[in-house]
Amino acid sequence: MRDHLKYLISLVLSLCLGLASAHASIRSEYEVKAAFLYNFTRFVSWPHTENTSEPLEVCVFGDDPFDDLLDPLRGRKSQGRELQLRYPGDVTNLAGCDVLYIAQSQSRNLDELLKLAQQQGMLTISDLPDFVRKGGMVGYVKQGNVIRFEISLKAATEAGLTINSRLLELAVRVVR
Amino acid sequence: MIGRWRYWRLKTKLLFLTLFTSALGIALVCASLIFVENQNYRRQLESELHVIAGILAEQSAAALVFEDNEQLNSIISSLDRIETIQQACVYNQQGNVMTSLAGMDKRECPVVNQQMEVGFVDEVYRLLMPVTLDNEVVGQLFLTSHLEVLRGHIRTFVFVATGIGAVILVALVFLALRLQRIVSEPILKLSKTAERIAQDHDYSIRAPVSGTDELGRLGNTFNDMIGTIQQQNRRILESHDSLERIVDARTSELSMANRELEAFSYSVSHDLRQPLRAVEGFGQALEEDCGDQLNEAGKDYLRRIRAASVRMAGLIDGLLVLSRVSRQPIENQTVDLTQLLQEITDELEDISDDVPSEVHIQQGIRVIGDSRMLRVAFQNLLANAWKYSAREEKRIIDISARKEGRWIAIEVRDNGVGFDMRYIDKLFVAFNRLHTPSEFGGTGIGLATVYRVVRRHHGEISATSKVGEGASFVVKLPVSGDQG
Repeated sequence: MRDHLKYLISLVLSLCLGLASAHASIRSEYEVKAAFLYNFTRFVSWPHTENTSEPLEVCVFGDDPFDDLLDPLRGRKSQGRELQLRYPGDVTNLAGCDVLYIAQSQSRNLDELLKLAQQQGMLTISDLPDFVRKGGMVGYVKQGNVIRFEISLKAATEAGLTINSRLLELAVRVVR
Repeated sequence: MIGRWRYWRLKTKLLFLTLFTSALGIALVCASLIFVENQNYRRQLESELHVIAGILAEQSAAALVFEDNEQLNSIISSLDRIETIQQACVYNQQGNVMTSLAGMDKRECPVVNQQMEVGFVDEVYRLLMPVTLDNEVVGQLFLTSHLEVLRGHIRTFVFVATGIGAVILVALVFLALRLQRIVSEPILKLSKTAERIAQDHDYSIRAPVSGTDELGRLGNTFNDMIGTIQQQNRRILESHDSLERIVDARTSELSMANRELEAFSYSVSHDLRQPLRAVEGFGQALEEDCGDQLNEAGKDYLRRIRAASVRMAGLIDGLLVLSRVSRQPIENQTVDLTQLLQEITDELEDISDDVPSEVHIQQGIRVIGDSRMLRVAFQNLLANAWKYSAREEKRIIDISARKEGRWIAIEVRDNGVGFDMRYIDKLFVAFNRLHTPSEFGGTGIGLATVYRVVRRHHGEISATSKVGEGASFVVKLPVSGDQG
């Protein structure tokens, strides 16, 4: 009888916990992607950035799918550097960006953007399908309901960026 | 146990002390070793777990921020290989359980909060480590390790320590059994030697001495003491022997001189009698036969000659008596002194009853001694009392006896003229007289004879007096007769 009660209680408890975790995963796709975006910056090291007082510029290029979800990133620190958000309207304004999010609307300019990014040592992130295969560095992928990512180590290395192995471990696919 | 301590043998005491101290020492060493080992092992366990947790935290930081449970699971499941880990939980920033590894008992991960108990709690070691990324806490790692291994380790250590301790103790028993002899053997030998000397009175025995420590010194001192005793003993025996020889020689010399003196006085007095008898005899013949031819002066001279010769005969008789009481062997027998004194009194009353006499004699006085000699002595004493109380209106003589320890004291008291106590030391010496012959007649030998008789009976005589108030003579004789 007592064992039954115990079982019942643990069942209720686990159900509650399950609900709680389910609630946590109910976040919207871009909410998760925004958090990932921030987290990517923490595992990537840029060349020539010993000076941590220099802000880390995150640029969203193209039609912004995040709405205001990226706003909490402003002022947060990643590897000691303060995050700044920028929404450049033109390719010429991209200079100075450390992280470049390429929106789906920019799929036509992809090659040009990637080339620019590689030259200027920008971390390129995008939702675009097959982004990594096309020469991007970090690409979101969706596996069922779960958001994951792919990494092109090759592209990052060519741009002079170093990606922490811990991040590589978590990637669904790593292109070398 | 302590009460019986003093009845234990020295060997047992030494053995007990050695073993007790060693056992205590071993136990203390073992206990402190176990304690230190326990502490060390705990610290080691703690640091190992911290290292493991540190590695895990570093590994899981990225997976945590990307909420990659799969990755977290694979990281945590690597702990499966470490069997001491009982439970492992990974919490995200909000404190929710991301993944967990439960051992056999599948317990729930605890809720992470500030009051969480960490360290050695009950039967487990609990560790909570923050997972940080760029100095930002991104989650928590919770580990519990059961202490079975620690317990097993300590148990083994205790067993080994106890075993080694027991082995050492057994070895110590053997060692102590041998070593205690070094201390106890000399003491036992010394004690046995002392006992033998006390028992046999053989002072030539010496204790064996080895070494120069306190025991060696004790043995040497003991031997020196015994040597001194032996020497003194020999000296005492020697001096005793020589003393005895000297005493023997002196005694024989003295008795020879005494015998010669007595023989001399006897022969002198005996030989003096004959010429005296001639003087007296012819004096008497002269008075009877030629008395009428002498004028008054001649008769007076003749009377004086005869009186002098009578006195001299008395003197000689006295000397003979004195000599006899000195030489005659004593025959001890019970003497009825009351009867003897009564006879003497009767004789004295027969000779002269110039003044009325009252003589009190205590009844039933019995002494042990020679009756002839005692008669001589008491005759002299009573005659003296009689003589010196002749001028009183009434003569009172009182004779009493009392027991004083092993003595019987006989007192002869008179109411006569007495004597001056200044001359007490001349009283018992022959030919010394305290009164002139014109006052009281006498030879001066009587009290010397009494003294001699009393001394030969191993007794004592003393006298007390006051001039004009009578005299008291006390004769003390031993009760059993042969003392002194």
